[in-house]
Amino acid sequence: MRLQLSPWREATCRLRSRRGPAKQVQACRRASGALGLAALAATLAATAPARADDRAEVSTSLFAEKRDGGKGGLTVIHPQADFGIDLGRFVTLDAAYAADAVSGATSVIYQVDAISTATTFSDTRHEGTLGLGFHGRRSRINFSATVGTERDYLSRQFGGNASIDLPGRNTTVALAYSHSFDQVCDKDNGMLSPQESKALTGADPCDKSGGIFGKDRPGMTLWRDLSIDTAQVTITQNLSPTMNLQIAGYGQVLEGFQSNPYRRVRVGPNSPQEHIPSTRDRWSISARLNRFLPSLRSAVHFDGRFYDDTWGVIGGDVELGYSQYIGKSLLLKVHARVYQQRAAKFFKDAFFYQTESTAGAYFTGDRELSPVRNATVGAKLSLITIGGDKPVWGLFDKLQVNAKADVMLLDVLAADSLADNPMGIDKQFIYGNSAIDAVVLQLGLMGNY
Amino acid sequence: MRKPFAFAFSFAIGATAALVALGACGRQAVRAAEKEFLADQVMVFDDDPHEASSDDHIRSNREGAAGGHGAGGGGCGCN
Repeated sequence: MRLQLSPWREATCRLRSRRGPAKQVQACRRASGALGLAALAATLAATAPARADDRAEVSTSLFAEKRDGGKGGLTVIHPQADFGIDLGRFVTLDAAYAADAVSGATSVIYQVDAISTATTFSDTRHEGTLGLGFHGRRSRINFSATVGTERDYLSRQFGGNASIDLPGRNTTVALAYSHSFDQVCDKDNGMLSPQESKALTGADPCDKSGGIFGKDRPGMTLWRDLSIDTAQVTITQNLSPTMNLQIAGYGQVLEGFQSNPYRRVRVGPNSPQEHIPSTRDRWSISARLNRFLPSLRSAVHFDGRFYDDTWGVIGGDVELGYSQYIGKSLLLKVHARVYQQRAAKFFKDAFFYQTESTAGAYFTGDRELSPVRNATVGAKLSLITIGGDKPVWGLFDKLQVNAKADVMLLDVLAADSLADNPMGIDKQFIYGNSAIDAVVLQLGLMGNY
Repeated sequence: MRKPFAFAFSFAIGATAALVALGACGRQAVRAAEKEFLADQVMVFDDDPHEASSDDHIRSNREGAAGGHGAGGGGCGCN
């Protein structure tokens, strides 16, 4: 028996089933067309071994932000490629590659004459990941190893995640943990105090003998350790036939060198390398909700998050989204997000460190630690092609082309009262003064085969 | 006790309670035959992994409070 569905529902059926292609549409037609047959199909689905789709995805993102009057700016091109294949019925193998080609200019933080002191830079980061997954009828567990390298930073991360569907298959619990052994190239300042330490420059060599497991070479620079432990628990719950909810808790502990080795901060008459604590504990909790609107062939999305850490940064964001199917194969998603954070306890506005003092032992110009409010609005258009009896391009069961654009708006907030910092925040140069701070463009191709 | 660990302990207790409650009601919440819309890709959290990782990458380099947006998946409960 072949039940006729609308094209977009037919497409959905083919995409979401985890069984073989020949059974995908059939099972979903049953689920969509007749309750009795659907129950049978669901029963079969529950008893058959789970099987992931082979998949491939490639994409490239462009991120660009500008500063007024040549006081810095940043352009990042971020290509990514992922491939996943089944090794038998219960094992999957994933491989991924990503890169960042970064170019821009940076000025001395809190330097009045920033234009003449802005220095250009460029760097490329390469990152590779290998993953091995095992899955059963209701559960899966994955292990992964990632290595990322660039001229001045080395990251080696090992992690795992596991998830299980609870009885009824309406609740999924997922746990994830990773440990990262990072190393940061830094200027060898010997026994100098933090206020005397010089910042790293692009001309300093960051050589390392023996590759990613190697040691420092004697010279002008050394590699400092940074250990990052991250854990996350996620609960996903189907609330109704058209609504699901996800709640997540996240914790992270960082130990080691966390300063930007290139960043200089004006402290008194000098411009030493920024100096921040070596330990940071972070946590957050988030909730996401999806609601499908069958009559409109659309869905609304809500996302809220609260964050806190031991440096005093408290933040949160709220995001609303709307997805709309257009015709047989187009999907449009629009979203808007607002975010706000409080400054770290040791972050001070421009000229405070110069005219007053450091904040305890610390001084920083890291804008990630400043008080700020920002907003993002954007849209994503997807062209979805389903192979049917004939694969797309002779290979894919499904092929999806994505194009996305985001615009980021910014509102800089004051960390200190005007009395403490009479020169204000206009010339601290950690942000620009224009309303549009950055844009993101992304093009991607995602296929299941 | 350090604040994050105190939170983690509290969260673990809360999550366990929520898990029991959700598991209990989840058994009856949505029947298999009613998961047509939940299986749609617009109902899957982080249905485009590259978009999600790219967003996280940008935010972690612009915001001091980035991280912890949950895992992907969801929808039909088909692990």
